[in-house]
Order: sequence, then C-alpha cells, then structure tokens
Amino acid sequence: MRFDIDRYKEIVDTLARNRSRTLLTGFGIFWGIFMLLIMLGGGNGLKAILSRNFAGFTSNAVIVGSSRTTKPYGGFKRDRYWSLDKTDIEAIKTLVPESDIVTMMDAEWGGAIVYGENSYSGIIKGLTHEYEGVEAPQLMFGRFINEVDCEQERKVCVIGKRVWSNLFPDGEDPTGKYIKVKDSYFQVIGVDSRSGGINISGSSDQSVVIPYQLMNKLYNKGGKFDIICLTAKPGADSEVLQEKIRGLLSRRHTIAPDDKSAIMILDTKKVFTIVDNLFKGVNILVILVGLGTLLAGAIGVSNIMMVTVKERTTEIGIRRAIGATPRMILSQIITESIGLTILAGMLGILFSVLILWAAGSVVSSMPDFSSGISFQIGFWTGILVLLMLVFLGVLAGLAPALRAMNIKPVDAMRDE
Amino acid sequence: MLIELKDVNKTYFGAQPLHVLKGINLGIERGEFVSIMGSSGSGKSTLLNILGILDNYDSGEYRIGGKLIWDLSESKAAEYRNKMIGFIFQSYNLISFKTAVENVELPLFYQGVSRHKRHEMAMEYIERLGLKDWAGHYPNEMSGGQKQRVAISTALVTKPDIILADEPTGALDSKTSVEIMDLLKELNEREKLTIIVVTHESGVANYTNKIIHIKDGVIGQIDENRSHDAMRFGSEGVLK
Repeated sequence: MRFDIDRYKEIVDTLARNRSRTLLTGFGIFWGIFMLLIMLGGGNGLKAILSRNFAGFTSNAVIVGSSRTTKPYGGFKRDRYWSLDKTDIEAIKTLVPESDIVTMMDAEWGGAIVYGENSYSGIIKGLTHEYEGVEAPQLMFGRFINEVDCEQERKVCVIGKRVWSNLFPDGEDPTGKYIKVKDSYFQVIGVDSRSGGINISGSSDQSVVIPYQLMNKLYNKGGKFDIICLTAKPGADSEVLQEKIRGLLSRRHTIAPDDKSAIMILDTKKVFTIVDNLFKGVNILVILVGLGTLLAGAIGVSNIMMVTVKERTTEIGIRRAIGATPRMILSQIITESIGLTILAGMLGILFSVLILWAAGSVVSSMPDFSSGISFQIGFWTGILVLLMLVFLGVLAGLAPALRAMNIKPVDAMRDE
Repeated sequence: MLIELKDVNKTYFGAQPLHVLKGINLGIERGEFVSIMGSSGSGKSTLLNILGILDNYDSGEYRIGGKLIWDLSESKAAEYRNKMIGFIFQSYNLISFKTAVENVELPLFYQGVSRHKRHEMAMEYIERLGLKDWAGHYPNEMSGGQKQRVAISTALVTKPDIILADEPTGALDSKTSVEIMDLLKELNEREKLTIIVVTHESGVANYTNKIIHIKDGVIGQIDENRSHDAMRFGSEGVLK
C-alpha cells in the first residue's frame, strides 16, 4: 500500500485512545524483550569477565608440572620429589612432533624487590623469550625478554603491574631504571599489565620476569625447574600430545605411568572448551526463556487486539461501508499490532541497553577490572530482535486482523 | 434509469428461513428525491442494504447506471460503494476519535486521494454545510444536527451518484430534523443529486418528491408527491 502519513497517524491515534490498555499490552512485549536482552547481555558480561582470565593465553597451551610422586615405582618409594630439566625439553622437542613451543618456567617466591625507597615482595620468574607464544604479555611500557637477553644472560627484567605501581608510585615509565631484586640489580625493560586469572607460578602482576638462564645461574638451580609450558601445533590433538608427554616423562624420570599427580598436566584447551560450552548452555537457556516470555507477550497482544476488533466492529463497519476493502482493514489491524509490538519492544531494547551499559560501567570502574568489561548486546543482536518484533507483531495481529476482515458493513449497522 | 431493480428476492436463512424481499421491481431516475417508507419488518432495511451494496440478493437484477451489481468480490463492492454511493445513517456513523474534517476525509483516503487534496476537498464540503468552525472538533463535541451535517459531508465528498439516507432524522429533535431535511431537499434541487431516504416517519417522507411504500417485502403504492401533501405530517415544517 502507498505511503501515507495518515495511516501511521491513525495507528498512533488508536493506540493513544486506550492508553492504559496499550500500556498493559505493550508491557508484556516490553518485559519479554527486556528480560531477553538483559539475560543475553548479562551472559556476555559474565563471559567477558571469565574470558579476561584467559586473556593472552593461547587456547592450545599445555602446562606440565613436576610434583611429588604418589605411587612407588621402579624401586623408588612414593613421595619422592623430582624435577624437570633441560634435557626433558630437548626430548619433548625431538620425540613429540605435536609440540610447537616448548619452554621452561621457574619461580622464586618472596624476593624483595627494591627501587629507591620503595620495596615490594613479589615473585621472581625465570622465563625464555619463547614464553611469549604461550601467554602473550600486555606491555604498558617497553618490551618483553628477547632471544638475545636469554643467550647473553642479560640482567634485565619485565615487571608486573602491581610491582610497577608499588615501586614507581608516580606512574612514570620505568624502562631503563635499575631495580634491586634480592641481591642483584636488574634493568627494567618492560611492564606487563596482565592481571589474568590463569596464573602459573603466581600472578603475573606480582612478578618480576628475568631470563631463565640467568635465574638458573644466579640462584644455583642446577639446571632444574618445575614447569614446562608448551603449545600444540595447529591441528594437533592435544590429548595425544598429553599422552605422549606423560609417557615420555614417566620413562625418563622413572615415575608410575598412571601417577597423574606426579606429572600434573593442565590443558587450557579443555578449560576453554568447558567455559565455552557453559556459556553456550547459558545462552540456549536464556534464549528459550526469553523467547517464551516474548511469545507470552505476543499472545497477550493478540488477545487484546481480538477484544479491540470486537469493540471496533462498528468503526470497521463504517470504514467498510465508505469504501475500505478487506485488505485495507487487514493491513490496518496488522500494522497496529506491529506498531504496538515495535513501540513496546523498542522501549525494551532501550531500557535493557541502558541498564546493561550501567552495569558495564559499574563493573569496569572496579579496581580489578581496568580493561572495560562490556555487558552490551551486539548490534546485530539488536537488529535481529527488531526483526523478530516485526514478525511477532504480524503473528499477533494475524488472528484479530482476519476476524476484522470478515466484518461486513451490514454487521456494523446491525450491531447498534 | 439510474437505479433499476428487477424481481429482486432476498431470503435470510436462519432457524426459520425468512423471505424478506419478494420480487422487488423499482426504477429511480437520476436527480430524483425519493423516500422508501415502510414499517419495521417490511423489508425496507434489507432493500437499503442491497441498494447500498452492503448485502447480496438471491435472485433478480440490480443495476446502477446500467452496471449489474451481482456476485461482487468484497473489494469490488467496496470500490463501488466508495465511488457511487454516499451513506447517511441514523446514528451518524462517524468515527469518534477522528475530527469532523478527518471523518470527511476518510472516503477520499480509501480512494487514494493525496493528503493535501483530500483535506482541501473535505474542508470545501465542511464549509458548504456551515461547519467551518467545527472542522477540528470531535463528534462528541458536536450536537446531533452538526454530526449529521458532518455525515452528509462525508457522503457528499466523493461526489457519488446516489445518496442513501437511512432514517437521517431518527436521532434528531424535530427542529433539527427539519433543518436536515431542508438541507437534503436543497441538495437535490441545487446539485441535482439523487437522494433515497429510507424512513418510517411519514413527515420525513413527505419532504421527498416520490414516496415508495414497501410492505411485507413487496412494493406497494408509489405516490408522486410534488406538492408535498401526500401525508398528514410534514407540511408546514411539522415533522414529529
């Protein structure tokens, strides 16, 4: 039908004529949309909060740690302590083709870190430049440890955010400055702002990262360490990788092959999958509940429209008598229904977006969440919901419109 | 012959089939001012519905200006009503949430006349019926006579061939009734409009130039009423 302002004015008139009824009917739709979007947005926000914990971590990382044995094996008693060493890394690199990056990690807890008058007790981590591929640092200043630092055993360090804020309370760029870690001085080359929830050997914001080779010598580690971080090659099955590593290490260190606590293996992929599935489940639930509420709202609209049509028999009869075709009546009622659902739905979208925005800014303003956490729904979700509203409007208007269409002008005259 | 009915029959099939129109034969010329009179149950409302293409008939022939009105689709019927017939009802049949001028615009809206043109035409008729100051008022803010004038404007605005008035004074007091009937009479004389008034009031019928009596579903007597003295009522402006 042609575009005509009066057509839309008419709908506004009809809806405005029965304000309380329009309001109550629209509320069903409003609430449905509101709940659906709030839940979707809330899910997004929670996911963002949880995902923050994994930020920077590659999804295919595998962390292998040595711990006390819990089973006697090969002549050894249980509760034996064992460590990894550099030969393990070489062995994994050559014998496990599924592995990509293989690098060691060592940590010293409780070292005093001093700059001028400020001091902090943090964790000293020994890493290689390769570690960057396992957990990407988020550098505020400077750079991460590189290959040359490792080869030349340079006395350089990358400090965590909390270390930085304690040692440099004025917030200045610390690169190039020398800080004292335990008994040695290190030049700061970077600040890592990561404060994620996946922490290996302590939170990275409390750490001072130095080249592993240097740490090994400085603290007399004798080439031993507790953790190997590795990544699977793209497309490689991380289960197979884990099995091979477990087999390899238990043979090399004479550990019972079924002693899972002695060789601890953490597969980030598994964690990611679990979280992913969790949120998929939550989303499905949210969508089901939200759609249910929406549908109930639409049925409400349909119901009221039905009553309205009955009430307006005379009016429709007059319109028919003076020349409205059934099609025109049909489209009028359906447009009214769409108008009502869209109006209410838009309000629902508006309010939920506002509330999600507020929730997002409250959470983001919390000290621990420096990076913005968004609870917002996506733009396309909004568009999709809008399309759904139109569809629901048509659906809700269909039955009443068909009834209205069947009103004959004579019925109206007779009705009086 | 503008309106031609040949042996029109209509039966309502209910629990008890009701043969309402039993072979109506009628001809009305262009420019005539006619009344159809009958008591309730005589079939005059049914006849009006058929004349107004609001209802179908079972057998016979009904032609408007030679065009056969038979077995029309709903939209075709709506189109014919819109273009050829203007209705005036006892209960005014105005849409309560539209102003006077918006009510008058409505038939033009369904004709697809542009917004601006529509308003212009509606205002023209509203002014002609002396309602200029009331154009922006809603029906419930107007008196019965004013409402009926709006209804008449609505009927006239599409320039139809026929004006069908169903008890146009039914809800009005005698003074206003006289005004409305005078108005219809004037419209007939000045604009040569074909007006058919359906009524059971002899006073109203007496205003018209021809009175068609209908009784028990057949046309009875047809009185020529040029001198407006066929009835006891209606002379000297006494209607009720």
